[in-house]
Amino acid sequence: MNAKELLGEYLHSGHGCCPGCAMPIIIRTAFQALGERTITVITAGCFGTISGTFPTSPIKLATYNTPFASTGAAASGVRAALDMLGDTTTTVLAVGGDGATFDIGIQAVSAAAERNDDYIYLCYDNEAYMNTGIQRSSATPWGAWTTTTPPSNLKNQPKKDIVQIMVAHRVPYVATGSIAYPEDFIRKIQKAKETRGFKFIYVFSPCPVGWRFSSELTIRLARLAVQTKVFPLYEVENGERYILNEEPEGIPVSEYLKPQGRFGFLREGDMERIQENVDREWQRLISRMERHPT
Amino acid sequence: MKKKKPIKKKPFLPPMSLSYEGTQASKTGTWRYLTPTYLNKLAPCNEACPAGEDVEAAMVLAGQEDYLGAWEKITQENPLPRVCGRVCFHPCEGACNRQEFDQATSINALERFVGDHAFQSGKRFTPPQEKKKEKVAIIGSGPAGLSCAYHLASMGYGVTLFEALPELGGVLRYGIPAYRLPKKVLEEEIDNILSLGVEVKTGARVGQDVKWGELKKFDAVFVAAGAWKSVPLKVPGEEAQGVMSGLDFLQKANSGQTVDLGQRVAVIGGGNTAMDAARSALRLGAKPLIIYRRTKEEMPAWEEEVAETGEENLEFIFLSSPVKIITENGKVKGVECIKNLLGPVGKDGRREPRPIEGSNFTLPVDAVISAIGETPDFSFLPEELRKSAGALPVDETGATALQRVFAGGDIVAQPRTVSYAIGSGKKAAIAIDATLRGKNVAEALRSAHWGEKGSLSIALYKKGGADGVAPEVVKFSDLNPDYFKRQERKPKETLPVFQRPTGFSEVNLGLSPATALYEAKRCFNCGVCNLCHNCFMFCPDLAITARPDKQGYQINYDYCKGCCICVEECPRGAISVEVKK
Amino acid sequence: MKKLMTGNSAVSYGVVLSRAQVISAYPITPQTTIVEELSEMVADGRLPAKFIRVESEHSAMACAAAAAATGARVFTATSSHGLAYMHEMLHWTSGTRLPVVMVNANRAIGAPWSIWCEQGDSLSQRDTGWLQLYCQSAQEAMDTVIQAYRIAEEVLLPVMVLVDGFFLSHTSEPVDIPDREAVDRFLPPYRPRYKLTPDDPHTFNIMADTSLFISFRHEAQKAMEGAKKVVARVDREFKSHFGRGYGLLEKFRCADAEVVLLTMGTAASTAREVIDHYRRMGKKVGLCRLRLFRPFPGEELIKFLKGMKKVAVLDRDNSLGAGGIVAQELKAALFCAPRKPKVFEFIAGLGGKDITPETIQKMMEITLNNANPTGAPMWLGVEE
Repeated sequence: MNAKELLGEYLHSGHGCCPGCAMPIIIRTAFQALGERTITVITAGCFGTISGTFPTSPIKLATYNTPFASTGAAASGVRAALDMLGDTTTTVLAVGGDGATFDIGIQAVSAAAERNDDYIYLCYDNEAYMNTGIQRSSATPWGAWTTTTPPSNLKNQPKKDIVQIMVAHRVPYVATGSIAYPEDFIRKIQKAKETRGFKFIYVFSPCPVGWRFSSELTIRLARLAVQTKVFPLYEVENGERYILNEEPEGIPVSEYLKPQGRFGFLREGDMERIQENVDREWQRLISRMERHPT
Repeated sequence: MKKKKPIKKKPFLPPMSLSYEGTQASKTGTWRYLTPTYLNKLAPCNEACPAGEDVEAAMVLAGQEDYLGAWEKITQENPLPRVCGRVCFHPCEGACNRQEFDQATSINALERFVGDHAFQSGKRFTPPQEKKKEKVAIIGSGPAGLSCAYHLASMGYGVTLFEALPELGGVLRYGIPAYRLPKKVLEEEIDNILSLGVEVKTGARVGQDVKWGELKKFDAVFVAAGAWKSVPLKVPGEEAQGVMSGLDFLQKANSGQTVDLGQRVAVIGGGNTAMDAARSALRLGAKPLIIYRRTKEEMPAWEEEVAETGEENLEFIFLSSPVKIITENGKVKGVECIKNLLGPVGKDGRREPRPIEGSNFTLPVDAVISAIGETPDFSFLPEELRKSAGALPVDETGATALQRVFAGGDIVAQPRTVSYAIGSGKKAAIAIDATLRGKNVAEALRSAHWGEKGSLSIALYKKGGADGVAPEVVKFSDLNPDYFKRQERKPKETLPVFQRPTGFSEVNLGLSPATALYEAKRCFNCGVCNLCHNCFMFCPDLAITARPDKQGYQINYDYCKGCCICVEECPRGAISVEVKK
Repeated sequence: MKKLMTGNSAVSYGVVLSRAQVISAYPITPQTTIVEELSEMVADGRLPAKFIRVESEHSAMACAAAAAATGARVFTATSSHGLAYMHEMLHWTSGTRLPVVMVNANRAIGAPWSIWCEQGDSLSQRDTGWLQLYCQSAQEAMDTVIQAYRIAEEVLLPVMVLVDGFFLSHTSEPVDIPDREAVDRFLPPYRPRYKLTPDDPHTFNIMADTSLFISFRHEAQKAMEGAKKVVARVDREFKSHFGRGYGLLEKFRCADAEVVLLTMGTAASTAREVIDHYRRMGKKVGLCRLRLFRPFPGEELIKFLKGMKKVAVLDRDNSLGAGGIVAQELKAALFCAPRKPKVFEFIAGLGGKDITPETIQKMMEITLNNANPTGAPMWLGVEE
């Protein structure tokens, strides 16, 4: 469906996101794609924080705030209750940041995936614990500055591959998305809505404050991440069938890293190492596609 | 007495914390220090067009396949799209932002396509409803005169066109050969202008057949007689039979007259006239030899002309100047030349050719065409305006020293091209209308420019200035090329080379409908909102909505935080940023 | 219909009769057989519900709470470490004012590891905003589960039903299973005013700022205080439906007692024998089993203990550095009472150590033979 044809809006203006934040764009688009018969489960993190202060909320859909580690489980409970109450058409959407999904909440997400509980889990990844002030998470990329990986001790581990972890659960549908590609993202959300079982949609969420870039570049970075192959756009069905959605020309990764202040502490040779990693990961992804041709 | 405390209303408290209001009361617009605003801007093609066309608007309409709409946009400013689409040197393409992405949009070819398409669809000019009582005389029916006639007649004025030669068109007919501009096309374009009710007097040379005094009965006069005198070679033997100026040769060739050039003809010069003369000579059966005093890179002729000359395998001799025409029995037998070297840069900014002593050589030729420059002939003008050389002086409104007498085209000091001439004809029409209607002419002209440096626009003149469009020109760096796909410009389709020398058929075959649409869609539509929806989709604060008239978008400044994502993601640079006070 | 069953099984039957719709539970000794039996009951259709096999107790409570917020009747069960693991969620559930019913099999929390009975696991969660009802028999466990849904859905606070690990969870007795229709008449379906639904969208659990958070807590406090009356009323109604009632305090031979033994759970069953023994000797002693621990029935206890000279509190728990929790709560409640008995504090049975008639006899001896308590709890059963 063309983004222009979606009419419903399920967020109010006046929310407290930082100027230029990708997350409200992601959430807004996801909500538009799902429609009003959706119940959202949210948790601590940037989204939870802006979800409102009594008695106001910027969210127009029925939403439930649950503590940090429990998003995966709470969404399962909502789905079970709806089914028992005879409502099998309302969609359940769980939303978690990288902290809630990769780290503190990974256990509950993994369990829900293993049980193949029927809901969409949307992870927006801003690559650190942004809400508490830019501390590193397992989603922080190698070489990035955060408040807990200062310049003298930058993140020295590669980014956790959450997509592969979810694929290993053999859930019906896993997909990556970027808001610079809104039609692709909308298609994936709607495909998830039509699929039964556990669906994991993983969206890249550039953060001007935490990544240290000027707020107008959010969409550009979301696009560059895909074009430099740092964040490939693909889908995996049933843990086996890989579909590549975008085959970029492949610009050097430095184009993506340069506008971000958090990569301003890279030492000599680091940029090349990052490029090697990106290339290697891309090859690994492509080789999976060749093994499971569409 | 105890004062009663005002009763504070307790907020409604459900048992658990849940929302029952939206966040609209939180006016996050107060966070802003940069304010985005929608501001359509000037496209560089508009600024560059010497004829003052709204190129951008025409390209937008062509891209939507509305060719008739595009034709209306063009002809509002320039009545000769079928001509310009064939002979203009397209500075619009030179300014086009797309060339920094892949290649410039094919504006020139599209102008021709739109013109041809409109004609074939039966579209013609509509005479104005209201007629004005004033009458204007125009001397010369070249592009400047035709353009002025068109604009004045469209405004309802009575126009009489005086043309010395037997047919109308000036340089369009007598200078430019048919293989570049077919006579039939020119006639159709001229007839279209005349249908607005223009009176024509051909074979009427002012100063001879028509006395200057007779022109006093007109309310205004526009002098657009062009530059038809050739600069002489100033070498011995110049008066021999077989030596002619490029202009004379072209005039005869373009009138269908036969010219005896023998077998080989030397064409002296490196400008468009020289190229036209050489290629016409080829088609008349002679073998031309183009002799130019500098190198190929310095030739003033347009690249495309030089390239086509090369395609037709014409011979060039560079860094050579004629010193003597060798005659026998009064007829040309050959031309003696001397080799040059390029000295330092001279007053005109070009390297001076210096003859190398003793390097003379002779070329056997049967005719010599000299095309080293043209100047206007002022002899027909009244005393007050007569000059011996150079250009007719005019002020910034195009007015001469005589009241209500304006001048334009090649006779005044301006670049000698068809489109500049068309532009100056329009300028005169505006100046004349402003004068006759008692307006401040200089101010009227100032308000009608495309931006700071562009030509005049009738549309802007009628509106009294640009409304809603900022004068700043959109640069490539203002655009967001991420939203455009690389699409190679399709190469020109031309008549195969072997077919060309057999006649004067049009060499450039123009665009097919499919290619035209493809090319039109390549236009970025710089600086103008295209309703692409990006700003609406990407606003994190949902502060952008469609305007009620659906012709654009509006920003709700109560909530806009000034992140400027909209500015960055507008593909066309139609959103600007202001620093909030 | 009467059937021989364990305490855990009785709980399962209570859940079936209460028509719970969503169950999310994680196994932990000694609650495991509840989870297993409910799985079977769901599988064979006796219980038409969704059983979510969660991966941890934190998730079990998160899942149950979210399901309750969506408007379903839910159930979960746990014990000791599991209860501790879901501590954060206990607060969240009561703060969201959700009528979740949970059975906790009382078990010691390590370290060191212990799988045996101790009441410190639930007592240490007394600040989380859950009602707590301590059972003595399998019959009472089943009945209290059914009552718990009535109470929870009226006061909008979650209810914890406690059974002693192994001593109650795994021992069998004949249990009278009431008619399904009779229970339906007693316990109508759950119809919340606020729930997660697209037909009436709200965002639940949004932040309450410094001006309003205290008001939410105050409302919950009022609900908790009012819950005492609700517990009593529901129990009376239950009695009128089914012929069995338990009250907030169960009194045994207290009419003219001067010395009362106060305890919770299965230790009370053992104590009855000892009370009888002392009565035979002519001592004016009685037993009070505290059923409702949260909200703490302070008023009722003050009234009850008005005429008593001494009360011996047997805590099957200990708050390190402070003493037995029941004793502390009792002393706090008695502080403002015009007439209060002397409080003798005892700690026994930690980590499943048997509380035998001998243990209780020792307690009575110390209490009867000393004019005043020492001021510190006496520990019984520690190997020196």
